[in-house]
Amino acid sequence: MSTMVQSEARSRAWRLWLTSGPGLFWIILFLLLPSGIMLGIAFFTNSDFGSPVLPLSLSSFSQVAGFGILGWTSANFTVLIRSLLQAGIATTMTILLAYPLVFFIVSRPANLRPVLLLFAIVPSWTNQVVRTYAWMQLLNPFAPVSHLAQSLGLIPPHLGLMPGNFAVFIGLTYNYLPYMVVPLYAAVEKLDWTLVEAGRDLYASGPKLFFNAVFPQTVPGLLSGIILVGIPAFGDYVVPQLLGGDKAMMLGSLIASQFTFSPDWPYGAALTIIMLVFTCIGLVVFRRLTQRLGGGEGAML
Amino acid sequence: MSNIPRGIRRGLFGVSLPVYALLYLPLSVIAIFSFAPSLHHPGVNLAAYGELFNDATVLAALRRSITLAFGSAILGTALGTLMGFGLSRFRPAKGGGFWVGALPSLIIYTPIIMPSLVFGISELIFFNLVHEYTGLLSAGLLTMGIAHVTFQSPYVALVVYARLTGLDPNLFEASHDLYANPIKSFLYLTIPVVRPALIGGFLLAITLSIDDFTISFFTAGPGSVTLPIYIYSAIARKGSSPEINALGSLMIATVIGVALLYYFVTRRQQQRSRQIPAVA
Repeated sequence: MSTMVQSEARSRAWRLWLTSGPGLFWIILFLLLPSGIMLGIAFFTNSDFGSPVLPLSLSSFSQVAGFGILGWTSANFTVLIRSLLQAGIATTMTILLAYPLVFFIVSRPANLRPVLLLFAIVPSWTNQVVRTYAWMQLLNPFAPVSHLAQSLGLIPPHLGLMPGNFAVFIGLTYNYLPYMVVPLYAAVEKLDWTLVEAGRDLYASGPKLFFNAVFPQTVPGLLSGIILVGIPAFGDYVVPQLLGGDKAMMLGSLIASQFTFSPDWPYGAALTIIMLVFTCIGLVVFRRLTQRLGGGEGAML
Repeated sequence: MSNIPRGIRRGLFGVSLPVYALLYLPLSVIAIFSFAPSLHHPGVNLAAYGELFNDATVLAALRRSITLAFGSAILGTALGTLMGFGLSRFRPAKGGGFWVGALPSLIIYTPIIMPSLVFGISELIFFNLVHEYTGLLSAGLLTMGIAHVTFQSPYVALVVYARLTGLDPNLFEASHDLYANPIKSFLYLTIPVVRPALIGGFLLAITLSIDDFTISFFTAGPGSVTLPIYIYSAIARKGSSPEINALGSLMIATVIGVALLYYFVTRRQQQRSRQIPAVA
């Protein structure tokens, strides 16, 4: 009997690797192996041509920490803090915009909801470069929005709203808003309204009702949304590159420039490790929070 | 929902309308500017589109984008479907240990969660090294295609997996009892059942390929400029121009078209899956 169960299990495992194997092998070969190599490159020394050479050293990490030929600078820390702040602020903004939007969609008749949701998602399916380019046109010094800001005295005359931190914030919020809307909608759609009724029967109303009866039920969706927005916003390349300029540089641009204009692979790889470390910290923290709050994901693979 | 008081519902509507407007404002600005060359010269002008269709560079970039999207989507859908199918059918329902249970999911989620910049730069380094030591895989459409398949197949796997987990496992038992061999039941049972997911996954793969810039940018070679890369370098060179606006409008229109197609395919699939219990 047990041998039959064993051979059954073995044949299942064999079939699993036969069907899923090629795809998994592809991802291992073309993504996991390359990222492993990249992590390794951080420990090499930079040659005159930007490619990694022996001997192994930690010099790229001291470069990351800000030590250079000219002594210590805080430039890298500034970029890191700015990236974290931008990601945090943009995520907060998407939360503030997504909550009313999602509850608006749910308050409509059931047959309208998928269409309203689709309309909120479609812009994110266009190319990121095109989307960001649109904001370049909206925020440049000659655009009406910039004129308005100039006459209100928010920005000095002859300057636009871009390039700069504000433009990056707008671009990130716009790019990632749908990634907050989708998980939040999934949570709000299956909200247990009887709890809200119960709260109302107990004479709770307004903010009290929302924060005690509605909000806790949306937390799993909110946490997934924070992961889906915060992580890509933190590592974004296109938005800071097109809307940011030098004074609003984010980690993504700093990394990319080590592989394009002035090649320094080990330094770039070490910076990438920093980005991955923060990404993983974010993932683990929010994963733990989700588990603690009992957010079960049924259709998760 | 009637549970939300009327006043609040009005408030929600009042806040959501501007959000929707904000979502479509930039896209419409591109479309409007593509017809009117500048803010100060209003009017409808199709010159930018004419220029676009006579520009050999743009047409070549378009051809490469289409080749890349379809080529990668075919392979990505094949690999993704097999992954989704295998994991839903042959993985033990509970646990299965690290190697069979957790590891495949971990591998599939890596391309989804990894920041595109890290993804792209890893591939850049990898392809560079492979080329340096073997002479194979010089940067171009092939390396871009390989990278695209890597991020498409996990999404397709998720779509197919979601479709198959909702299915009665007894169906497979039944086909086995009726003497269908595994290949026959794959062809006559699995394929028809996952067909909507297959089409949806394929369209999703194409959209992902067209939408991607960062990963393409770092895996592209000098001779493989696709549309997003062309637009990016045009913006970097000379800022905004009517031609780029026209190109952007066409890309937005295409994506909205594909998105609607995807929506209707998945909706039909949902309706059909709702009908199955009614028939049975």
